[in-house]
This record gives sequence, C-alpha cells and structure tokens, in this order.
Amino acid sequence: MDGLIGSLPAIGFANPWLLAALVALPVLVWLLRVTPPAPKLLAFPAVRLLLDIPRRDETAARTPWWLLLLRILAAALVIIGLARPVLNAGGAGGGAGPLLIVVDDGWAAGQAWAQRVAALDTALDRADRAGRPVMLLATAPGDRGEPPRVTAAMPAQEMRERVAALRPRPWAPDRATARRAVEQLGRGAAGLSVLWVADGLSHGNGEDAEALGAALAALGPLTVLTPPPGALPVVLGTPASEPGRIVARVASLPAPAEQEIAVLARTADGRTLARATATLAPGATSLEIPVALPPELRNRLATLVVEGSANAAAVSLLDERWRRRPVGLIAGNAETADQPLLGELYYLDRALSPFTELRRGTVRELLARDIAVIVLSDVDTLTEAERGLLAAWVDAGGVLVRFAGPRLAARPDTLLPVTLRTGDRQLGGALSWQQPAALAPFPETSPFFGLTVPAEVRVTRQVLAEPSVALAQRTWARLADGTPLVTGEQRGRGALVLFHITANTEWSSLPLSGLFLQMLQRIVQLSTGVGAAAGDAVLAPYETLDGFGRLTPPPPFAAGLPAAQLAREAPSPRHPPGFYGPEAARVALNLGPSVGALRPLGAMPAGAELRTLDAEAAERDLRPLLLGLAVLLVLADLMISLWLRGLVRPVPAAARAGAAAAALMLLPSLALAQAQPMAMANETRLAYVVTGTGSVDDISRAGLVGLTDFVNRRSAANLADPVGVRPGQDELSFFPLLYWPMTPDQPNPDAAAVAALNDFMRQGGIIMLDTRDAGSGQGMNAGGEQQLRRLTRGLSIPALAPVPPDHVLARAFYLLTDFPGRYVGGQVWVQRDQDRANDSVSPVIIGGHDWAAAWAVDAQGRNPYATVPGGARQRLLAYRFGLNLVMYALTGNYKGDQVHVPVLLERLGQ
Amino acid sequence: MTVDAPAPAARGGGARAFARARHAEQISARLPPLLVAAERVAATVAQGVHGRRRVGQGDSFWQFRPFLPGDAIQRIDWRQSAKSDRTYVRETEWEAAQSVWIWRDASASMRWRSTDRLPEKVDRAEILALALASLLLRGGERVALLGHGMRPVSGRPMIEMLAEAVGRRGDAGAVAGLPAAEPLPRHGRVVLIGDFLSPLPDVQEAVARLATIPVTGHILQVLDPAEEALPFRGRIRFEGLEREGAALIGKVEGMRGDYQARLAAQREGLKAIAAAAGWSFGTHRTDASPESALLALYLALAPDRAGRAV
Repeated sequence: MDGLIGSLPAIGFANPWLLAALVALPVLVWLLRVTPPAPKLLAFPAVRLLLDIPRRDETAARTPWWLLLLRILAAALVIIGLARPVLNAGGAGGGAGPLLIVVDDGWAAGQAWAQRVAALDTALDRADRAGRPVMLLATAPGDRGEPPRVTAAMPAQEMRERVAALRPRPWAPDRATARRAVEQLGRGAAGLSVLWVADGLSHGNGEDAEALGAALAALGPLTVLTPPPGALPVVLGTPASEPGRIVARVASLPAPAEQEIAVLARTADGRTLARATATLAPGATSLEIPVALPPELRNRLATLVVEGSANAAAVSLLDERWRRRPVGLIAGNAETADQPLLGELYYLDRALSPFTELRRGTVRELLARDIAVIVLSDVDTLTEAERGLLAAWVDAGGVLVRFAGPRLAARPDTLLPVTLRTGDRQLGGALSWQQPAALAPFPETSPFFGLTVPAEVRVTRQVLAEPSVALAQRTWARLADGTPLVTGEQRGRGALVLFHITANTEWSSLPLSGLFLQMLQRIVQLSTGVGAAAGDAVLAPYETLDGFGRLTPPPPFAAGLPAAQLAREAPSPRHPPGFYGPEAARVALNLGPSVGALRPLGAMPAGAELRTLDAEAAERDLRPLLLGLAVLLVLADLMISLWLRGLVRPVPAAARAGAAAAALMLLPSLALAQAQPMAMANETRLAYVVTGTGSVDDISRAGLVGLTDFVNRRSAANLADPVGVRPGQDELSFFPLLYWPMTPDQPNPDAAAVAALNDFMRQGGIIMLDTRDAGSGQGMNAGGEQQLRRLTRGLSIPALAPVPPDHVLARAFYLLTDFPGRYVGGQVWVQRDQDRANDSVSPVIIGGHDWAAAWAVDAQGRNPYATVPGGARQRLLAYRFGLNLVMYALTGNYKGDQVHVPVLLERLGQ
Repeated sequence: MTVDAPAPAARGGGARAFARARHAEQISARLPPLLVAAERVAATVAQGVHGRRRVGQGDSFWQFRPFLPGDAIQRIDWRQSAKSDRTYVRETEWEAAQSVWIWRDASASMRWRSTDRLPEKVDRAEILALALASLLLRGGERVALLGHGMRPVSGRPMIEMLAEAVGRRGDAGAVAGLPAAEPLPRHGRVVLIGDFLSPLPDVQEAVARLATIPVTGHILQVLDPAEEALPFRGRIRFEGLEREGAALIGKVEGMRGDYQARLAAQREGLKAIAAAAGWSFGTHRTDASPESALLALYLALAPDRAGRAV
C-alpha cells in the first residue's frame, strides 16, 4: 500500500478551500437543464402559413446530455485549476520552521546554473505553499567585495526577487566567512531547516567546506544539493607556447569515466579558429591538449575555451604576450644590407615582415625597448658591453639568432652556441671535388622537426664548428654529410641560434626556399612574447569575464592594478578576471591558474541528506494545464452551440480535401521540389553546360551574364539571370540556347545526357559548341577538335557548313560579316541544309572564338578577359554577334526575310 | 437564408438580359408559335396575324373593289386598273393581334431557395415569363410586362428588350407580392406568375380588380419543393422575408401534416378565385423542368382548348 502511494506523483493544492465550489456544480446542472438551447434560425417565405396553424403545446427542448456533461466538465476544470494543484509536491527542504537557503555562487557555480536556479525556485515554491519564511546566504563575496551574510527571514514571494538576482561570480566563494555568518545566526535561530545548493568543489584547503557543512547541520536538518558528475567544472591553466602550436592545460576532478574534452581557440570577436580534443583517462585530473595553429592565425588568437563550459576558470585569456614578437635586425655591413636580392637583410626582411614587427637599430637601441628576437647577420663588431647586454637579455628570455658570413668566419666571438673554427669550408666550385651539399632531415630534438626539406636546397659554403661533446645535441639542422648547419642552445629562459651560412644567397640557396621562412617562424615562436607594459603603471580593467565565462564590460566596482602586481594577483571582486590596460596593449588576468588543483566537496556531517541537482523532480503547477483544457472545452461548447443553431455548417468533403491538399502544398520539401522548375519556366534565360572545370564555368557564367545585360539593354528581349545546367540531370526545355565550352577534363556525356541533348535539339533548342581554340586560342586550349569529337559523339548533329554570308545569324539584329569572340579568324559552322521541320533553324552552332570570355563581365562591370588581337571594336562586334545569336534562338527564321529584301525591292521596282 | 441582392440594372444588365433571352428562347423553341385568339374584336386587338375574314388593315390580299369617291388616290392598284377601264382599289384582310400582359412576382419572398442546387423562385418565374413572351412574339402577338408601365410590343427582336425589363427587378422590399392596379385596355389577356402566399382576400381583390376591366388570365403558382414538403427537423425559428413576423416551432416534424393541409387549402382558395373570375390556375415547382410549366401555360392560352372561345 505504502509502495503504491509512493510510486504515484504527489498532488497538492495551493488553495484547497476553492474546491468547496465543486458543491455548486449540481446547481449548474439544474440551471442548464431548464434552459433550452437556442433555436436554429431559418428564413422561410411561407411563414404566413405556419403562423396560421394553431399552436399545440410544446415540450421545452432540453439541452442534450452530452453537452451538459461537457459544460459541467469545463466548470469543474476551472474550479480545480483555480485551486492550484501542484504535481510532485513535497520533497527536499521539508520542515516547519524558517528555511535557510545556502547558495554557492562562486566561479564553479556557472556550470549547471540553470539547474541550480530551478532547484531554488522549487524550494521557494514549497516554502511559499507551506508559508515558511526564507533566509538566503550566498557564499561568494558580492560585487563590491561585501562578505557573505545571511539575509533576514522574509516570505518566499519576496525572496524570489533576490534569488532571481543571483549570478555566479567569477571568483572563489568565501566559505570561512560564510561559516562565521552561520554560526552567528545559530545563536538566535531555532526550528530551522537548511538547503545547501553546493557547487560540488571544496575550494582552498578543503576544511572550510567541511566546517560550513558542520555549522549548517548544527542549525537543523541539512539537505545538500550537488551537481551531477557531468556538470562539474573543468579549469584551464596557463597554456604553453610551442612552435606551431599552443598547449592548453586542462585540470578537472578525477573523472569517473573516460571523458572527451575539447578546447576551442577563439578570436577576440568570438569566432573559432581551431578545435582540439583529447580524452581524459578515468581517474586523471589533468590533461594537455595541443592546439595546432599556423602563425598567421595565432596572431588573431584571443581566448582558449573549454567547449561546453560555462565558468570563468574554463576561459584562458591570451594577451599581447602570446602574439607580439618584435624582431630586431642588425647587419654587419649596414650599407648594402637592403640591396635587393643581394643584401644581407633582404631575405630576412621579406620572410619576417608579414607576421612580425621588424625593427632596425644598434644593439642598445633595440634592447631599450621590449624585443623578442634579435637577428645578427654576419656581425663581428660586438663590443664587450654589448655582448654582456645581449647575454643578459637572452638569459631573461630573448632569442638571439646569428647568421655566419665572411666576417664572422674570420673573427668568431663568444656569443655563439658552439665554438667556431676560423675560416670556412667551401663545397663544390672550380677547385673542389665536392658537390654542393643538400640538407638532411631534421632530428627529433630539433625545433624544426617535422618540416619538409626541399630537395633543391644546396649549401656551397659554411662555417664549421669545433667538434665537442655537446655539438650533436646542439645541432638543430645538418647537411646530408652530417655537418651542422644550424646550431642552437637554450640559455636561461632564452636561446642562442647560429645559422652556419649567410642570410643571403651567397653561401646557399636556403634563403630562396620556403623552408627558410618556416624555420624563421619556428624560431620566432620559441621566444617569449613581449608584454605590453610593465612596472608600476596602473592598468584599468578593459573587459572582464562574468560568472559564465563571457567577456563583458567591467563592473563599476572593478579597480585597476599595477602591471607588476597583475601576474601575482588572484582574481577577486576588486580585480575580476579579464583584460586590463589600454586596448592596444591589454594584459590578461586569468582565473584558472589561481584555482589550483580541484578537489571534490569534502565529507558532510552525518544526518545530512545528499542529493544531486538533476535528481530533484521539478514541481509542476497544473493550473495552466487545467485552465487551458477548460478553455478548449468552452470553445468546443461554443462551436457545438453554433452548430446546433445552424450558424456553422459542417465543411463539405470536397472542401476538406482541398484544405488538406493546400496543407500538403505548404510542406517545405514539396515546395522546394516545385520551386526550381517553376522559377526556370517563368522567365526566359540563357544557360550553359557545366563542364566541371571551375574556371571555365565561371567564364561561361560571367559571359552569359554580360550577354544578358547587353541583350536587355539593346533589344526588347528581357532575359533573366543565366544558369548552369547538367544535361541529363536538369530539365533543358526552358532554355532557348545552351552554351557549351569544350574542355579536356570533361567526362563523356552519359546516355541520359546524350538523350536529353538530342531531345533539346529536336525540339528547337540551339546548342552553341565553343572549342575556344580559334586563332590565338590554340595555345590556350589545344586539341579543341579532339574534345569536340569526343564530347559530341552520340549527338545527332546534321551536316554542317560554314556560315554563308546571307545566313540569318548574320542578319538577325545587326548586319555582321564575321563573328569574333575573344579570338578571331576561326570558322563558324551551322547546319548545311534547310530543315523545314525546325523552321530552318540550325540546332548547333560550332565555333572556336571563346565568345564567353569576350562577353564576360565581373562584379564591377569590367571585362576581365582581353580580346585578341584586341580593341573595343572587336568586343563590340562580339556582343553584337551574341545579340544576333540570342535573336536567332528566340525568333528563328523570322528575320530570314531580310535575306530576301533586295529581291523584294527589285520586284517592287518593276 | 441569404437573399441574393438584385443585380443593379446599370452594371452588366445588358449581358445578363441577353443571356436570359437566349435561355428563354431555348426553352420555348420546342413549342410551336403561340397564337392567342382574340376573343373579341376590340380596341385591345390591334393589327395582327389573326385573319378576320373581313376587310381591314393587314398584309394579305383580300379583294379588289372599284374606286369610290373619297378613297385616297394612293390606294389605287394601278396594275389591276391597267387591265381594264375601271379603276380598282386593293383591299387587304383585316388581321388582328392579341395583347398579353405578363406579370411575375419579384418580391422578397420569391428570392429564396431551399438548397444551392435549385434556382430561386424568382429566377424560374422570370425564365417562364420570357419563354412565354418569346412564344407569343413568334406568334405575332403583342406582349407587355405588367407593372412596368410599358406598351405592348411585337416582333421577335423585342424579346431582348423584355428580358432587360425583367432583369430590372427593383428593390425587393418595395415590390408587392401581387400585381398593382394598372389601367389595362379591355379584353386583354393577363398571365400572373408568383408564389401567391399572400392572404387569400388580398389575392381575391387583385384578381377581381383585373377581372372587372374585363381581362381574362392565368395564374401560375411557383413554389420551392421545401415550401411544399416542409422537410426540416428540430427546433427552428422561421423568419419571413417580407416582415410577416417569425414563427418559433419546437418540433417542426410534428407540424408537417398541418402545414401541408394549410398549403392545400391555400391552393384550393386560389383555384376558386381563378374560377370565379373565369381564369385558369396552375402550379409549378422549381425542381421540375421549366418546359413542363411552359407546356401547361401554352395549353392554357392556346385557342384550341375545348369549350373555350378563343
């Protein structure tokens, strides 16, 4: 019995006294019984006769019993609905005294916030029904940094506004202060029950959470709601920058099962640049996810976000340090450094300037400002002091790249990753047996590992390193014979790199290859970025993260802080996570790194009831459902009444079928299927055969667009935009003219296409075959004739002849003597015999003048393809021929009479 | 229930009248031309096709007689006179035509039909009136519409003029259900087509007014089948179309017998009124074909009916 009741959803009433109105239903029954339904109205001419008939006693017509039942049901539904029945009444937070609701609204609460709000609403509904006052304690400090405190007890209705105003905060909760607030309350409170909507994490050292639990349990019965395991937050630590990629460090609670985590790399305006996934093993708490990004995209990277997350710690803001890599260039011979193709810095400048900021100057000038990389090209004039400055800068994170050359070979200094032998080695040349050497594949320890070595790169001269134990380890690139070509060494936080060749083509062809560019990009990425500002300048908040991890304008109480302090500061109400500083030089303050390792919520005191958020069945107010049903019943009653009075007639079957058909017509799939041929059939337009070669199809399209425009301007014809068709797949009967360029890559038309094209020609369509190889076109599209033979095999093409001078094609609109397109000089062929069946209109026109290219216009209305041999006259004649062609297709031999005009005139003269 | 608004005469009246005339001619085409015998040589009988076997105005040759002083010189038949020494005058047979006044009820009660499949009563009445007019015109008689204040016309082309006049129904509310008093010449013929649901004394008065002129005639009662059968069920409030009032009947099927008896009594009364005036009476239902009603009218007006001096 008990189990049976337990399995049924509990229904409670908010206003049970209203149910007393059900007693009044029998009165309604009686009232309805004695009121007859309204009569049908009918006009009738012979009403006089009816009036004459003496009236017999009439029994009052009764309301039919089923109509009565309908009305009673509607009334009962209204009464029950007004009594506000609630499904799933009861549940957590029961009790009699005031209810204390404790909400974790720190950063971790952003995850599953909607579920938290729903649970809070349910708790408030129950307290409202039970008439219990409610107190609220939010454990995170407020926007102004005010410590957590317990509100006064107030009715649940008033508490709703406060609960609705709750938002997750982008900083950690302060449970220690919350515990003290609870303990203060405990002295004066009695009969309390407590509901704690926890975020499922124990922040800080973990003792605070347990202590808070204990303090709450001391007040009264405690219910703790925690999010389900899938809704626990994931945190992003400081990412690591590696050549070619950026590594996101994800921390999470020990995962109960394998979990796939995706990281999105986003731009400042929220577009996703890349997505990388990795799988978190069961029980693991951290994961590294590399996100591969080419350098161009990386400069636009603004945030890393865990996909599906909604908390501020799952967002890693990347500031200028991640993007700006200024590179300084110093040449040994400054006079010739920029000489095109020969200068020492010419190739470096060309390789680096697209993606970095380049600076020139002396060592001191360059070091005076922040700089990530300094390239010294064959510099042998460094003073002791400059070497000291550079060494200190490298230790602090700079990357110094040196290129060898005659000067360095003669006088090597100490600021090199390896010791150099004096002099250089020459490979090949007049006095050597050796051949110029190629590059070997890069070793795995090299930062260049993974780059493809082009076979054509040859090194003819280089400087040589003294053999040493560390040499192999410091070699980043070597020649095919094993000689080191690039050596490098980590020094402190920076690196020292030496290219054993010059930065121009004097010693090798490496600067000419794409590999040179890729190697430089990798080296630049090795360097640490340059922060926008440092020191004591106070940076104002620019954009901050809210509790859901979204960038928003900073709250009014956020304060700026000195740049130096920014790195050490943990986000707080005064300094929420976000970007600080001026727009051009923003510095990021991230929440993730300050969170540390995640630990689950500690043990709760005995007697506390633990539930998960999703297990909480939401209450459902049945009032709208019942009142809605009642309204439907009343509407049905209205329709029935009207029908009884004859004001509404049943819809005839034919009309119903029509309505159903109309509804079917509205189905989107059908509409789509209908729309295409409908649109084609409604307007006349030119068409071209889609060849599958993108550039040729583009020309065809642009050409027909240009011709359509010309025809519409110059003649009464009104053509719509041209379309591309695939014979055999698309219906061809809507088009008067089909332009078909011949390309070598076109597949032979299949049987369906051949049938469709033959059908098209037989029914009066014209196909214009363009081999595009007349005159100078021979070089552009060789073998047009073979393509023509291949592609038209199977088409029923009549016997052909060159266009006679008096052909309609030459008279249809303009009087033309030849038919130039992009090229001139070719022959145009049409049907030889006059075929009366088709109004003597030739079904095919074959030529090679590449007319589409001559007609083509681009988006700006210019002609992108030059005519050969050229001239505005040729273009104009090409358009005129196009207009004649369209007229020929549209009007057939109508203008054929023009041919006979001289004869007719002669006859008239006689 | 709803009453079709009368078509404005100005808008499309001509086309509609032409169509109606065509329809009426189609219906009447199956009957021979109707010659209404002039009962009496009177002023109402103008020149027509009924040969009077005596000298008068007409087209048929009757006799030659010698020229007498006082004859108009234009009447001398010179061809006949040239054959002898005497001068002859050509005399023609006196040919006379009967005039028929047709009336159709265009009141609101006529603009009703029980289902969409049937024509409205007024449509049927107008078709019958035009078909009859067509028959008469083909017979050389003269036809006028009663109540339109028009003079009788003759000649087949005039049917279209009549159709147009019929189409001009005027305001249904202002039209009475019985012919109004109109000065008709004596010994004319009248055909009244309507539903005649008005009280019998009113009908009696209208018919008597015509009969005293004297004028003879025919009454055709056109009814919708629903008006005969009263096929409705349940609780219905019947509302008249001419502000006669409304009848709320709780159970229509129970009233059916009484209603049909009352309708039969109305018909008997009409028949008696017609007989008393020396007129004839017929009925027609709109679900029957108009040809049958036209045939009945033809028989009622044709001269060869037994015992009638036509």
